[in-house]
Amino acid sequence: MFAKIAAFELRYQLKNPVFWVAVVAFFLLTFATVTVDNVHIGDTANAHLNGPYAVVETHLIWTLFFMFVSTAFVANVVVRDDETGFGALIKSTRVTKAAYLYGRFTGAFIAGLIAFLAVPSAMLVGSMMPWIDPAKIGPFRPGDYLFAYGMMAVPTLFLLSAGFFALATVTRSMMATYVGVIAFMIIYTIADLVGAKPEYMVPAAYLDPFGLRAFGLATRYFTSADRNSILPALAGPLIYNRLIWTGVGFAFLALAYGLFHFEVRGAKASRKKAVAAPEVEPPALIHVASNATRFGPGAARAQFMARMRMDFGLVFKSPAFVVLLLLGLFNAAGGLFLLNGIYGVALYPVTRQAIEILTGSFTFVPLIVGIYYAGELVWRERDRKTEELIDSTPTPDWTFVIPKVAVIASVFVVMLAISIALAFIVQAIKHFAPDDAWKYVAWYLVPMTVSLTIFTVLAVFVQAVSPHKFIGWGIMVLFIIANVMMSNLGLEHNLYRYGGGPIGPLVPMSDLNGLGVAGQGAWWFRAYWACIALVLAVLAYALWRRGAETRLWPRLRRLPSRLSGKAGLLTLAAVVGAVGCGAFIFYNTNVLNDFRTARGEERFSADYEKTLLPYETVPQPKITKVNLDVDLHPGEGYADTHGLYLFQNKTDKPIPVLHVRFERDAHLRALNVPGAHVTKAYDRFGYYIYTFDTPMAPGETRQLSFDVWRGQKGFRNNRNQTSIVENGTFLNNFEIAPILGMDRNQLLRDRAKRRRLGLPAELRMPKLENVAARQFNMLTKSADWVDSDITVTTDADQTPMAPGYRVSDVARGGRRTDRFVTEAPINAFFSIQSARYAVRRAAYKGVDLAVYYDPGHPWNVDRMIKALKFGLDYDQANFSPYQFRQARILEFPATQGTFAQSFANTIPWSEDIGFLFDVRDPNKIDMVTYVTAHELGHQWWAHQVIPADSQGSTLLVETLAQYTALMNMKAMYGPDQIRKFLHYELDRYLRDRGGESVEEMPLERVENQQYIHYRKGSLVMYRLQDEIGEAAVNRALRKLIADHAFKGAPYPTSLDLIADLRAEAPADKQALITDLFEKITLYDLKTTSAVAKKRPDGRYDLTLTISARKMYADGQGHERDAPLNETLDVGAFDVEPAKPGFTARAVIAFERRQIHSGVQTVTLVVSRAPKFAGVDPYNKLIDRNADDNGIKVE
Amino acid sequence: MLTIKNLTHIYANGVKALDNVSLTVPNGMFGLLGPNGAGKSTLMRTVATLQTPTSGSVTFDDIDVVRQPELLRRVLGYLPQDFGVYPRVSAYDMLDHMAILKGIANGRERKTEVERLLAQTNLWDVRRKALAGFSGGMRQRFGIAQALIGAPRLIIVDEPTAGLDPEERNRFLNLLAEIGENVVVILSTHIVEDVADLCPAMAIIAGGKIVKTGAPETLMRELDGKIWTKTVAASELEALKAKYTVISTRLYAGRTVAHVLADADPGDGFTAHQGGLGDVYFATLHATRRAA
Repeated sequence: MFAKIAAFELRYQLKNPVFWVAVVAFFLLTFATVTVDNVHIGDTANAHLNGPYAVVETHLIWTLFFMFVSTAFVANVVVRDDETGFGALIKSTRVTKAAYLYGRFTGAFIAGLIAFLAVPSAMLVGSMMPWIDPAKIGPFRPGDYLFAYGMMAVPTLFLLSAGFFALATVTRSMMATYVGVIAFMIIYTIADLVGAKPEYMVPAAYLDPFGLRAFGLATRYFTSADRNSILPALAGPLIYNRLIWTGVGFAFLALAYGLFHFEVRGAKASRKKAVAAPEVEPPALIHVASNATRFGPGAARAQFMARMRMDFGLVFKSPAFVVLLLLGLFNAAGGLFLLNGIYGVALYPVTRQAIEILTGSFTFVPLIVGIYYAGELVWRERDRKTEELIDSTPTPDWTFVIPKVAVIASVFVVMLAISIALAFIVQAIKHFAPDDAWKYVAWYLVPMTVSLTIFTVLAVFVQAVSPHKFIGWGIMVLFIIANVMMSNLGLEHNLYRYGGGPIGPLVPMSDLNGLGVAGQGAWWFRAYWACIALVLAVLAYALWRRGAETRLWPRLRRLPSRLSGKAGLLTLAAVVGAVGCGAFIFYNTNVLNDFRTARGEERFSADYEKTLLPYETVPQPKITKVNLDVDLHPGEGYADTHGLYLFQNKTDKPIPVLHVRFERDAHLRALNVPGAHVTKAYDRFGYYIYTFDTPMAPGETRQLSFDVWRGQKGFRNNRNQTSIVENGTFLNNFEIAPILGMDRNQLLRDRAKRRRLGLPAELRMPKLENVAARQFNMLTKSADWVDSDITVTTDADQTPMAPGYRVSDVARGGRRTDRFVTEAPINAFFSIQSARYAVRRAAYKGVDLAVYYDPGHPWNVDRMIKALKFGLDYDQANFSPYQFRQARILEFPATQGTFAQSFANTIPWSEDIGFLFDVRDPNKIDMVTYVTAHELGHQWWAHQVIPADSQGSTLLVETLAQYTALMNMKAMYGPDQIRKFLHYELDRYLRDRGGESVEEMPLERVENQQYIHYRKGSLVMYRLQDEIGEAAVNRALRKLIADHAFKGAPYPTSLDLIADLRAEAPADKQALITDLFEKITLYDLKTTSAVAKKRPDGRYDLTLTISARKMYADGQGHERDAPLNETLDVGAFDVEPAKPGFTARAVIAFERRQIHSGVQTVTLVVSRAPKFAGVDPYNKLIDRNADDNGIKVE
Repeated sequence: MLTIKNLTHIYANGVKALDNVSLTVPNGMFGLLGPNGAGKSTLMRTVATLQTPTSGSVTFDDIDVVRQPELLRRVLGYLPQDFGVYPRVSAYDMLDHMAILKGIANGRERKTEVERLLAQTNLWDVRRKALAGFSGGMRQRFGIAQALIGAPRLIIVDEPTAGLDPEERNRFLNLLAEIGENVVVILSTHIVEDVADLCPAMAIIAGGKIVKTGAPETLMRELDGKIWTKTVAASELEALKAKYTVISTRLYAGRTVAHVLADADPGDGFTAHQGGLGDVYFATLHATRRAA
C-alpha cells in the first residue's frame, strides 16, 4: 500500500508543472553560476569552478533556495486534497493514515531529490563548456558530487521537506507554510550573522541546519590547493551536524503523523461569548426600493475610496502582513544592534548608519509585500470568487486598479515608518539621540516609498496580464534575479534597469556631504521610471480582467479602444514625461559624462596595460619640487589645477625622452615641457611622450608645467565622483597632477579577469633580489623626496588642507586661499582636502596637534588627541624624533571609502573609521587609539623610512605601523586587549589566505597582500617582541631609521629590516626569525588532557598531554611537516584566558617549556587546583586550530 | 424588455456553450430552465456583462449590452450561481461596500437602502456577523440583497435555490416574487418547481439552444392527454423504454413510476396523468436528445 501510494505520488509530482519549472530553473541558475563570470558561487580566483569545495558550496547554496520548491512538493501533498475537496473521498477509503501520509511524503520527497539532480547535472555540463577559462576547471571527480549530493544536500532536503511537511499538516495552508518558509529563512539569516562571529563558530556548526557553517568550519582554513583537491573529513561537527538534522527530520515526520487528522474537526467553540448586540429594531419593511444610484465623478470617488478601504483591510488584517513586518523588524533590529565596524568594534548608531542598515536588512520585506500583495489584491476577487458580484457593478475599472497601487504604497509608508521607529528605539537603547532625524524621511522614507511603489506598479501590471497569480509572482522573482544578473553582466544603465533596481538606485551616503550629486541623479531616475510606471498602470487598467474573460488575447484586442480618450492622453503625457526625463538623464550620464561600466573599466585597464606597460623600463628623471595651485569648486564639483614640477636626471646616462601621463579623469588642458616636443600621444590614456631637443644630462634639472581640469558635470549613472564633493573633498596628487613614466599601480590583478582580457595571468612585483627596483620607492616611481608648495583655494566657509606648513591664509570674494609649504623634503604623495570642519587643537611638546572633524561627529576627537600625544611619546622614545611640528587628522566622507591614510603630517580619516567607533565600553578594544597609533606610526614607517618598490615593501610600512600600534596599545592598556585583538588577526589571516588569488608569500616577500602585512604582520611582530624583547626589536628599528631615513635611492628592503632584527636577536632565536619572516609557518598545538593531582605538600601536580606539530606551507597552501622543538608558553588558570572574568590574578602558573613534535606530557607544580590549562594559552602562535590549545582540568 | 438575438458563445477550448440563441424577455419573472451544462450560466453571464459573446447581440431597453456594458451595469442586479465572500467582513459592511460600488454614494441614502435590504432579506439580526460564517441560505439571501441594491431594472439570478433546504427555498422564492413585477427578473434554474411556482413566462435551454418558450400554463396545456403513467418493477424498465417514449422515471416506494408521452392511451396498464411543468420539461429534453 505504502509503496503504491508513494509511486502514485511520485508520478503525480513528475507530471506537475512545478516539478519541471523547478528542474529548468535550477539547472539554468546553476549553469549560470558555473559558466558566467561574476556570478560564481564560492569562487576565489585560484579555486576550480568544479573543485570539491566549489561543488559542495554550490550544492549547499542551492539547497537553501530549493527550500521553496521542496516545500511546494511536500506541502502540496496534504494541502491539495483539502483545496480540491478530494480529501474526503480519499480519507473515506481503507488507506491507513501512515501509508497515506508517509507514502505521499516519500513520493513527493523523491520527486524533490530528482529535481535537485538538476544542480549536479548543471555543474557537470557547465564545467564542460568551451568558453570557460581552462585554468578554472579541474578534473572531474565523481566522488565530490556524491559527497555534495549525498552527504550535504540530501540530509538537508530531507530535513526541510519533513519540517515543512509537518507545518503544512498542522496549518493545512500553503500560504501559512510559505510564511513559515520565509520566517525560517529570515531567522536563519539572522542566526547566521550571529554565528559568523568567531566565538560562536563551533556551536553554529552544529546548529546550522543547512550544514553551511559546519562545512565552513571544516574548510575554514583551506587553501586554494586544498579547495581543489580535498573534501573535508566526514568527522567532528560536520558528521554530527548531518546526523542531528537528519534525526530532527524524522522527528518532524513523527510529529506530522501525530498532528494529522483524517477527520475534519469541528471548529473550536469560540472562547469569547458572543457579545449581545444592543437590540436595534430593524427598519420597517419598506418595499419601495430607493433609487439613489448616481453615476459620475462623485460616485467614482466614493467607489474609489471604498475600494481603498477594502484593499487596506485585506492587507492590514491579514496575518501574513503582520508576520512579514515582524520578520523585517526582527532582521533590522539584529543589524541595528550588531552595528559593527572593523574588528567587531561597535559604531555609534548615527542616523545615516541606521538608514543604511534598514536599507540593507529591512527594505526587502516591503519588496516581498509589494510582490505578494500585488498578486493577492489583483487576484482577490477571483480567489474569493466574488468577481461576478463585483465585476457586474457599475464601477469604473480605474477604481479597481489604482487602489491596488495606492494601498500598497500606503502600506510601504506604514512599514517604513515602523522601521524608523525601531531605529529610534535602538538609538535610544544605545543612549544615542540623533539630531538629524530628518534624514530618515529625506534619505529613506520618501525615496524608498517612491521606488518601491514604482516596483509595485510593475508587479500589479504583471499580475494583470499574467494568467495566474503564481505565474505573476514567479515572473517578479525572476525579474529580481535578472536584475542582479544584469549588473553583473555589465548591463548597468538605470535607463533600462527597471526602477534603477528593485529598491531604486542605491545612493551612497555621508554625514558630511549628504547624498551629493548621486542623490539628485537618483531622483531623475525615479521621475523617469515613475512615468514608465504610469504607462504600465494605464495598461494594467486597459487590460484589466473584468468578468469571465481571463484570456489575454481578447483583452489585448480591445486595448486600442480602451486607450482612446483620457487613458490615452494620460499614457501620452507619461510617455512624454519618460522621454523628457530619459533624455535629460542620457544627457547627464552619457553626454556630459562618460558612461562606464565595471566591465568597461576592466577593458580600459587591460588596453592601458597592453599599450603602455612596455614603457615601464624607460629611464625617467625624478621630480624634485612640486608646485600645485588647486582651484577647488566644491559646489560645482570640479578643480582646476595649475602645477609646476622641477625634475632631475638622477641616472648616470642622458635621458632623451620624458613620459608624462595623467589619470583617466584628469583632463589635460595644457602641458608645457620647455625644450621638448611631443613625439607620441596616447590621448585615450592621457599618456604623452616628449622628446627633448637636447637630452637631459645626468644631474640636470628641468621643469614642466601643466593645467588639469578634474571634475564631474551633472550626474552619472553610478560611480559618481567622490573625490570632489560639496563638503568633504579629498584628492591626492595622482588625481590632478601627472606621473612621470609607467608603473604597475592601478593595473588589473585578478587572474581570471586578466586571462579573460588576454593579459598574462600574473602581474607581479619586482623580486626582492631585484637591485634595479631599489632605485624606486613603493609610493611612486616619479620621485624620491621632494619639496612641495601647494596652494588650495576653496569656498570661504571651508577649510582647505594639504601637507606642509600653512604660510598664508587669505579670504577674498567668498573664496579662501591657503598655501602650504614644506620645510624639508617629503614623499611625493599629497592630499588635498576641503570641508566645513570643526577643529580641536592641542599643542604638545612643540607639536601642534589638530583634529578637523564634522561637527556632528565629536565623540572620539579627544581620544584621538590623547592617542596622538601617547603615540608621539612612545614613538619618539623608541624610534626617532618626530620630523614635523604638526600632526593633523581630517575627516572625509564615507562615500570616498572607509580607510585612514597617512600623508606627511596629515592623516585623512574616513568618517566611518574612528569618528564613529563607539568605544564607551572599556572592555572593548579601543580602536580609535589603535588606528591613530597606526597612522601616526606611518610618519616613521613611510614618511621617514620608505622602502623600495619590490616584494616585502609593505612589511616595512604596514607591518611596522601595526607593530607600533600594538606597542602603543600594550603600553596604554596592558597585554590583555592585545590578545583579543590578535585573536581577530589570527582568524582573519587563516581565513583570508584561503582566498589568495595568486600566491601566498612569506612576510619578507609580501606583495602588498593585506592579510599578510596587516594580519600576519601583527602576529609575527607580537611573537617576535615576546620572544626577543620589545627593547631589542626597537633597537633594530632605530638602526633601520638611522641607516635609511630620508635617504633617496637605493631604498631599503625587508632584507635590511630582517638583518637588523637578526643582529639584535640571540643565536637561539635566529631560526625563529627564519620561520616568522622567511617561511610560511603554521603550528597545530593541542592539549588533549590536563590532570591535577594533589601532592603531599598541598600543592598540585598538573600533567598536560600535548600534541604538537609544525608545518611549512608553500604559496599554494601545500603543507609539509617540519620538526618542532621550541620553547613555548604553558599555563594554568582559574579562568580560561580571554573569557569574561579573566584577569592577571587568574594566572596560577605560566612557564616556558620545551615542546617538540608529536605527543608529550608536561608536568607543572602549581599552588592551587587550576580549572583550565594548556599550551600557548594566549595564542601567540599561528595555530590552525587555536581553540584547542587549552582544556578544562580534571 | 431584454432582447437576445443570435447569441453564440464559443469557449477557448472549442466548446460551443451558446448556439445562436434568440430570446425576448418581458417584464416580470422569467424562468430559464435547463439541465446542468445547457448553457444557462453562460447566457446569464453574457447578459450580466461578464463575458463578451462570440457573436450576436443583447439589448436591454435602449442599452446595447455588448457595446455598453457600463450602462447596463447601472441597472443590473446579478446573483451569480456561485459566489464567495471576503474573510473577516460582516454582512452589513459588505452590503454597504456593494452599495457604493453600485453607485449609492450618499451615506444617508446608502444606510437606508442597506438597512432596508437587510430587513427585507431577513438578515437584520446577523448583519454584524462575518459573511464567511453564513449558512448556504443566509449567504444566498445576502446574494439577493446585494442584487437588489439601487432598484435594478434587470435582475438576473443564476441557480439561486441550489443547495437550499425547502424552508430556505420558500423564503427565497417569496422574496423574488415580491420584486418581480415591474422589472425584468431572469431566474435561471434546473429545478422545475422554481419556475412553476413563480414565472409567468419561461424558456427551456438545452445544448446551448433555446428549445421551448412560452407561459408555463400554455405549455402544460399542450400536453393535456398526452402523458401516461405506469408503476413497474425496476427490472421491467428497460423493456418499457424500448416500447414507449419514456420521458421520465422516478422511484416511488421501491418501484419505478414511468411517465410516457403518447398521443393516445397506450393501454398496457397505463393511466392518464395530468401533466405538470415537469413533464413539459422532460418531454422537451427528450425530444431534444432524440433530435441530437
